[in-house]
Amino acid sequence: MSKPVLIIGGGPAGLSAAHALAAAGRKSILVEKEDRLGGAPILSGYAKLVPSHEWAKDAIGAMVTRVYPNPNVDVRLNTSVQKFDGTPGNFVATLKDGTQIEAETAIMATGFTHFDSINKPEWGFGTYPDVVTTTQVEQMISSGKGVRCPSDGRVPDRVAILLCVGSRDRQIGREWCSKICCTVSANIAMEIREELPNTNVYIYYMDIRTFGLYEGEFYWESQEKYKVKYIKARIAEVTSDGKRLLVKGEDTLIKRPVSIPFDMVVHAVGMDPNVDNMTLSSVFDVKLNRWGYIDRANTYTTLAQTSRPGVYVCGSASGPETIDDSIAQGHAAAMAAMTFQNAKVTEAAE
Amino acid sequence: MPIHEKSLIRPENLVEHEHLVIEGVDVSGHWSTFIEGRSITDYNEAMQEEIAALPGGENIHRCWQCGSCTNACTVNAVNPEFNPRYWIYLIRLGMEEELLRDKDIIWQCVSCNKCTYACPRDVVPEAVMKATAHWLELKGHTPKSNSTIFDEGFASQVIKTGKIEDGLVLRDYFKATGQSLTQPWLVAMVTGLIKRFPVTYLMKLGIATVFPDKTRKWSKSRAAITEYVEECEAANRKALGLDAKGTH
Ligand SMILES: Cc1cc2nc3c(=O)[nH]c(=O)nc-3n(C[C@H](O)[C@H](O)[C@H](O)COP(=O)(O)OP(=O)(O)OC[C@H]3O[C@@H](n4cnc5c(N)ncnc54)[C@H](O)[C@@H]3O)c2cc1C
Ligand code: SF4
Ligand code: SF4
Ligand code: SF4
Repeated sequence: MSKPVLIIGGGPAGLSAAHALAAAGRKSILVEKEDRLGGAPILSGYAKLVPSHEWAKDAIGAMVTRVYPNPNVDVRLNTSVQKFDGTPGNFVATLKDGTQIEAETAIMATGFTHFDSINKPEWGFGTYPDVVTTTQVEQMISSGKGVRCPSDGRVPDRVAILLCVGSRDRQIGREWCSKICCTVSANIAMEIREELPNTNVYIYYMDIRTFGLYEGEFYWESQEKYKVKYIKARIAEVTSDGKRLLVKGEDTLIKRPVSIPFDMVVHAVGMDPNVDNMTLSSVFDVKLNRWGYIDRANTYTTLAQTSRPGVYVCGSASGPETIDDSIAQGHAAAMAAMTFQNAKVTEAAE
Repeated sequence: MPIHEKSLIRPENLVEHEHLVIEGVDVSGHWSTFIEGRSITDYNEAMQEEIAALPGGENIHRCWQCGSCTNACTVNAVNPEFNPRYWIYLIRLGMEEELLRDKDIIWQCVSCNKCTYACPRDVVPEAVMKATAHWLELKGHTPKSNSTIFDEGFASQVIKTGKIEDGLVLRDYFKATGQSLTQPWLVAMVTGLIKRFPVTYLMKLGIATVFPDKTRKWSKSRAAITEYVEECEAANRKALGLDAKGTH
């Protein structure tokens, strides 16, 4: 009887790995530090997801109920792994309360941390209440309260979404593109226009990266159907004239400075490496890549392999990822974990 | 200090006070020259909607500023100031003052539609140029262009009689645009025709000029067309926030 697979993190990636293992009749133990499963889409209260337009609580909720309860999945909430010893096939993990778990392999599905906009003070977050993040707007929509200015609850006449906040910015050591925020912003813009047809939405961008099929459904549709306006400018600063917010920058297409009044400014925040990654790296003895995400040993042969044999990684733990890709990687990690014994046999035979 | 590189600054942004004394020092005239900010301080959100409401402007919001239209443009090749991509941008964001700076060249579009074939988003820039020229006229920013005057004369004759009498179209057009009837090219053309045409045909032409022909039973069609045209014009004016009648 083989030992279970230890999965750390109960977001889309971890849920997908747990489900794949359970479906194949393998036992797993899912360790989640929060009091709920679902990861960022549930913990941060996202509204409708890209690209399915399904509510996060329904779509990810369904992923949760597949594995919890499930006789093959042993879910441990509100805890984390403090120690991780042993060798591939015979790992021993010690949880916060001292419980020891034996595991054949481990899958790290520990996800990302939202960029904290406080680190870009020039864009007004923390100074002006009506400067918010995409996460906050997701919550305004998913809670049913609607998009309103936090300062006084008014319906905004005009909303600016600033892209690449906390991404693609060497000033603050973030040299990656967070991949999904362009599409998420286009989606949010459409949702705002749908709820508030008299509210105009402007997106300030450097490049638009609504990759693959997201181009038509999000980038084009937001312009053609919802009349969202895209302005090529990276905003220099957000201030206030006492009444409204002032968004300043250069409109690069007409080579002119702009200083435009807005009621609400939304930061499209990026996906930082999980703040726990330093700890995770030392507990699990896995390498981080130069950006601070969990390093993958190889892209083509063992997609989910970390620097430590028998320990796998999937989802946004290893770099900015979409939900779909996190799910696919969860499956890949489950497959790698399931074939671990075979792989060892093959290697030994070689 | 006088500003030496005035050529780089838009003249209307250079401000001088004729009489100005600051702390007892007379800085009148060029001593008080300063440059007004060139920053854009607001978007006029109505502008795109107004132009989109005019025939041809419908797809303007699709433009993603690729520049294919301007690159393909016949007029841009001779006048780099003629830039459909740029104007579409100004309209989309409602930068009216900027657009008005070019009001006297926008109508120069020759409707070749090269832009239309180049545009990846099916904006139909040619039609947008037409809608924009129309908008400028309706708003009173530009006088009626000669081509509008010609079209109106042509259309009003068709509506009135159900027919076209070329001579009358031309005469009305020259009159309305203050041009002489004895344009050398026209005289040459007419004398050429007279020399070549059979006499009976010329007589018919002469009679038609004096007693213009009418399409029989036209009055019903006329009423329908007139009603339709008035409806369209009223809708256009309403979209622009102008009164229905055409005076503003
Ligand atoms: C504003 C915003 C909107 C988004 N909208 C979409 C969208 O519409 N569509 C889309 O495809 N993607 C979207 N994304 C991206 C999406 O959030 C990620 O792709 C997805 O959450 C990644 O899943 P994951 O399981 O890898 O990580 P996470 O969702 O981050 O899950 C990681 C889990 O691990 C747990 N964990 C972390 N550290 C530990 C630890 N040390 N011990 C135990 N447990 C731990 C966490 O609590 C969490 O439950 C959005 C991102 C943002 C920022
Ligand atoms: S997806 Fe778009 S908003 Fe996000 S970091 Fe990349 S370019 Fe910027
Ligand atoms: S139709 Fe007008 S705008 Fe288009 S290419 Fe021809 S001249 Fe230029
Ligand atoms: S070709 Fe079309 S999309 Fe490109 S700038 Fe011109 S109008 Fe816009």
